[in-house]
Amino acid sequence: MLWNAFLSLLDIWVLVAAVTGIVTGIIIGAIPGLGPTMAIALLIPATFSMQPIPAMILLLGVYQGAIFGGSISAVLLNVPGTPSSAATAIDGNALARRGEGGRALRIALYASVFGNVFSCLVLMLLAEPLARFALDFGPAEMTVLMLFALQVIVLFGGGSRLDALIMVLVGICAGVVGLDPIDGSPRFTFGSFAFESGFQLIPVLVGLFAMSEVFIQVFSRRSETGDPEIPDLKPARVSLLDLWRMRAILVMSSVIGTFVGILPGIGSTVPAFMSYNLARSRSKEPETFGAGAAEGVAAPEAANNAVTGGALVPTLALGIPGDAVTAVILGAFMLQGLAPGPFLFKNHGVEVYAIFEALLLSSLPTVVFGLLLFRVAVHVIRIRPQHLFPAIAILAALGAFSVNNSLFDVWVMLGAGLLGFFFRRSGFPISPLLIGLILGHPFEQSMRQALLMSGGSLGVFVDSPIALGLLGLTGVSLATSVLFSLREKRRDSE
Amino acid sequence: MNTMRRIGMAIAACTLFVQTHGALAGDYPSRPITIVVPYGAGGTTDISARQMAAMAEKVAGQPFVVENQPGSSGTNAMRAVAAAKPDGYTLIATTSSPSFVTPALRPVGYDTTTDFIPIMNYSGPYHGVLVNADAPYQTLDELITAAKSGTAVTYGTAGAMGGAHLAFTSVANQTGAALRHVPFDGASAATVAVLGKHVDVALVPAYRDLVQDGKLRLLAVLDGTRDPDFPDVPTLKDAGYMAEFPSIVGILAPAGTDGAIVAKLEKIFTDVASSDEFKAFMTKLGQPVRVISGEALKATIAENLAAYRDLAKQMGRSK
Repeated sequence: MLWNAFLSLLDIWVLVAAVTGIVTGIIIGAIPGLGPTMAIALLIPATFSMQPIPAMILLLGVYQGAIFGGSISAVLLNVPGTPSSAATAIDGNALARRGEGGRALRIALYASVFGNVFSCLVLMLLAEPLARFALDFGPAEMTVLMLFALQVIVLFGGGSRLDALIMVLVGICAGVVGLDPIDGSPRFTFGSFAFESGFQLIPVLVGLFAMSEVFIQVFSRRSETGDPEIPDLKPARVSLLDLWRMRAILVMSSVIGTFVGILPGIGSTVPAFMSYNLARSRSKEPETFGAGAAEGVAAPEAANNAVTGGALVPTLALGIPGDAVTAVILGAFMLQGLAPGPFLFKNHGVEVYAIFEALLLSSLPTVVFGLLLFRVAVHVIRIRPQHLFPAIAILAALGAFSVNNSLFDVWVMLGAGLLGFFFRRSGFPISPLLIGLILGHPFEQSMRQALLMSGGSLGVFVDSPIALGLLGLTGVSLATSVLFSLREKRRDSE
Repeated sequence: MNTMRRIGMAIAACTLFVQTHGALAGDYPSRPITIVVPYGAGGTTDISARQMAAMAEKVAGQPFVVENQPGSSGTNAMRAVAAAKPDGYTLIATTSSPSFVTPALRPVGYDTTTDFIPIMNYSGPYHGVLVNADAPYQTLDELITAAKSGTAVTYGTAGAMGGAHLAFTSVANQTGAALRHVPFDGASAATVAVLGKHVDVALVPAYRDLVQDGKLRLLAVLDGTRDPDFPDVPTLKDAGYMAEFPSIVGILAPAGTDGAIVAKLEKIFTDVASSDEFKAFMTKLGQPVRVISGEALKATIAENLAAYRDLAKQMGRSK
């Protein structure tokens, strides 16, 4: 079967589709606000007349490319192109400011490819058992898992934990706006229809990260003292040895990304930050994180790309998509006559394995075209701010508008931009705010679902071994973190 | 001055004539027609509407442009189309939820019965009452009996106060069964919950393969008619419960649209939806083709809006 699948890839159109998909994805992903969902939805009609295998390779190439593409603008401009590359911006941009943008991009590229290959292998070998395992995660288990994720964000983010906690809570509060997830009544909408959908992730992300950067540039004093210094571009080689040193982090991040991807509704931003924080907490030199640590680029990139393979597990094995992107991909599979679900692997094994093999092999064009794009892209950092930032402001407004074709989202973006500007100016980290906004709504929903199912008894959260295990993990990590900081304090006072 | 005024009036008259002329049904359609989809690009509603649009273009000779206006469970787009010019150039391809479920629950800024003219219905996924294949319930009656005798039965739906939720609330009211609702974020999440045995029942569409594979058992459908893929499975009404959630996917025009234009559009869309090409496309998408006339669709919407308003009142959520 695998050989037959491989033979069906020996077609020039497969190569054309893979390259077109990846390049389109990388470019779309690099533009703030535009993401894989929209790109794939717009490309679906174009695939109607194509053969199933090239059609799906095109669309999945866009999916993978877009997740990676977001990191290009994150590294070079400190403006994440997609929410999932927000974590990459922290150290990636720090490297770029030192003139090592090329190196940061290469690390991001290789880590992305690693995450893709890892999760794709998992998808190929373990799709069905993993999909069954994912079914064991009910509302109670998801509640505890999200609690653990929030805790990792607060405890291991570096910087002040109190600041991070405050920002997470601000994010959760912002997530309350909109329709109540259980009884559907409007909350904090002030009678406005526009508020009913709540604050959408993309406008908030673009505002917090891109627009606030624009505001910071506008209000910074640097412009008065003349031209900003332009860092010299340093050689950008990344050797295999460098990657080998990061092997533990790459594997761990890929596991986190794949695992979270399999579970519905969390997306790729949270695992990226979790991996970043865990990589930092494991590092021998945690102080380099935030100042340009290579691991700080590799961890989130491996994780967010690994999500793609993970998210396809339930989509293909059960026909149940976990998020908006996979829902669109599911539709595309159906239109090609490859209806995902329990019969997909039985009835269309050759096509499906051909698609998986193509995803693995497309690492090659990803690296080739990624490196080619970098040659051009690294020079972005030499564009003068007065030319660059107006363009970013325009893209930010466009991206926010394009989510729902609504002007409301543009106002949300500008509001989030001002808020992000004030927070950044006063030294608060804004990433926890984003995580709070992403997780607040599903956390509330899962918790209330679990309580509805148990008739209000809290026992539901310790009933299953999975929930109990995750609670234990949460407890242990809390305890170690407290012990560590106590020991540090004692050492400081001595 | 007098001449100038006459020329001016002549120009005004011409403009008026041109405008009325443009709106005449005889020439319709003379420019591209917009079909608004109240959901994001790439969903089943969007994909099927795009196929309808592409095929209608061949019949009508003018492009049909699909425009996505997602947000607020489809009510944003409905409100925008209700306020659009009723000239037949702005239509909406809509579903049950923004047509008669959400408007019964909270103010949405439009009234489907007075602000729209239904043109025709072309699809609507069947919603099933599904239990895990390992569950003891073989029929809907067994499930309800169990729920009456003290065991709380939990059921998951695609969201709070959706049509499925309201239909089962009605069943619970009629029978006194202890049916406990657990709303999820979309039908997929509810399907996962019943597959993983976190809830006892899920009221969701897109169940065919999971039932045929023996993972789930279909006890009933919420629609008014049986699912042709499972002709032996009863509707709620067949099973003896006076409740239904008819699922519609139809095209509506703003109220005030010329009757002749509506008739022309109904003919175009009915021809397209009845064609074998469209049926083959929808089968691939896993969606049924259900052609219902504009008149019948109008009655369905009005009946259900009234029924859901009553139900919402009973539940203390009337607005």
